[in-house]
Amino acid sequence: MNRSASGRSPVLVAEDLSVSFAGKVALEGVSLAIPRGCLTALIGPEGGGKSTLLRSFNRLNELTPGAVTAGIVRLNGVDIHQGGVDAATVRRKVGMVFPEATLFPRSIFDNVAFGLRASGQVEELHNRIEEALTTVGLWSGIADTLDARALSLAPGDRQRLCFARTLALRPEVLLLDEPTTALDSAATARIESLVHGLKGDYTIVLATSGRRQAARLSELTAYLEGGELVEHGPTETIFTNPRDARTESYLTGRFR
Amino acid sequence: MRAARDRDWLGGLSGAAAVLSGGAFLTLMGFLLIDALPALQLDFLLSPSTSRLPDGTGIGPAVVGSAWILLIAAALALPVGIGTAVYLEEYARRRRTATAVGRALDGLAAVPPVVHGVVGLAVFVRALGMGATILAGGCTLATLALPAVVSTAREALRSVSPEVRLAAYSLGATKWQVVRRELLPTAAPSLVAGSCLTLSRAIGEAAPLLVLGAVSFITFVPAAPGDPLVSLPTQVFAWTTRAHADFAALAAAASVALLAAMVGLRLAGAVLGRALQRSAR
Ligand SMILES: Nc1ncnc2c1ncn2[C@@H]1O[C@H](COP(=O)(O)OP(=O)(O)OP(=O)(O)O)[C@@H](O)[C@H]1O
Ligand SMILES: [Mg+2]
Repeated sequence: MNRSASGRSPVLVAEDLSVSFAGKVALEGVSLAIPRGCLTALIGPEGGGKSTLLRSFNRLNELTPGAVTAGIVRLNGVDIHQGGVDAATVRRKVGMVFPEATLFPRSIFDNVAFGLRASGQVEELHNRIEEALTTVGLWSGIADTLDARALSLAPGDRQRLCFARTLALRPEVLLLDEPTTALDSAATARIESLVHGLKGDYTIVLATSGRRQAARLSELTAYLEGGELVEHGPTETIFTNPRDARTESYLTGRFR
Repeated sequence: MRAARDRDWLGGLSGAAAVLSGGAFLTLMGFLLIDALPALQLDFLLSPSTSRLPDGTGIGPAVVGSAWILLIAAALALPVGIGTAVYLEEYARRRRTATAVGRALDGLAAVPPVVHGVVGLAVFVRALGMGATILAGGCTLATLALPAVVSTAREALRSVSPEVRLAAYSLGATKWQVVRRELLPTAAPSLVAGSCLTLSRAIGEAAPLLVLGAVSFITFVPAAPGDPLVSLPTQVFAWTTRAHADFAALAAAASVALLAAMVGLRLAGAVLGRALQRSAR
């Protein structure tokens, strides 16, 4: 809650974090603090480690056979890998949206209810679902068709449903892994305005290969290349005055 | 050009192979039916006893015996096999465990059916004191079917999109919730179809049941797993070893019944699988 001039208190902290998959290094010695209430963008080339870093924050990497994590990740100061910390609890606090809409082949209602049902929060199911669908701007359009198959929605709406599914759990943090990569520009614009509206209410970490998207939405930017955190800082500084030559060449590459 | 012509060649060749194997099957069925015709009558199917004389004998006990064996094998192999697959795919955190169990199953799959009979004789019939019963037959065929059940189940579980699986975990679901709410329902259509296919193969096996000591002459329809081991494939075998010409027709007729049961089981699996798939959409 410390929002003094010296910087907001971090929600998530990675300390000397390394991840490898079956011996192949995906992330190496990354130390990064994610301040509360900010939108932090993770940018960098393909295979740079953006998704791996995001998945370190909600312990999703451990579901990949052969994944080995070293280093520490803290959520509100608590090491999320320490014994006694339940992965499911971490994941409810640190929600995630994936690149492609990953809906369950069931009804709209069942999709949004999934996390609440899994954690036994079923008393206010309808209210929570209405709240989440309202937040993502889908409620007025689909309130009467909640029993329709989720996969029958348009791609952009499917992705917004994924946001709703995650938001229904009232997480503290939202990890967004290239949420617009599979969408056309109109749908992308709607998702971006949704993300913009969520800023402040949530701590958001957005992995994106869209440099303009990062510039438009984020306060802070971290540049990852080859599994290494090359540099991070205020978005404006990174984009206008990068310290590292690699960051500069990545950022200029696109506009050539 | 070259590649295209090669493809034409290959296409022609595999087309010919398909016609050939289809033809072989139809010819086989034709001969079988011609042989079976004199014996294929209702009282043959329903007859409560298989006697030493061709007249008045039937496959009633063998049909019921095979049905029992199928039920027992399914009741054992399906839960154990699907459970093993779920464990290997979802729980075995250390790769080595999964690899070791996988290797063991591969080994089991390579064991010839007759050897399953030998092991079944030692373990179920003798050591566990079941005797040459339907129960021992069901247990033996369960071990025979197990590797295939595990591998079809693993395949079915892997067909669940990894993204959807991760999404379920990311919403705070536990392993068991992901397995029960996502993996099993999504895999159910191929699980059902694959299991029926595997079981249909198993109930067609004569060799292991012969080794266990299947009987070919019985005067009553088995009513419990503890009754003597009778089955369709062993009945077919028994009749083929008899000299009298009438027995050839009986063997053919019993073969037709066995094939019908196997094809029926497969079809049922395929239809049920497709129905499940449609209801999941
Ligand atoms: N499940 C996995 N198994 C093996 N290697 C993996 C796995 N996931 C990621 N990697 C490897 O880890 C490295 C980092 O990948 P990651 O997906 O984190 O990068 P990214 O920045 O998200 O890239 P992209 O732009 O492609 O999404 C890559 O070299 C990738 O090949
Ligand atoms: Mg990625």
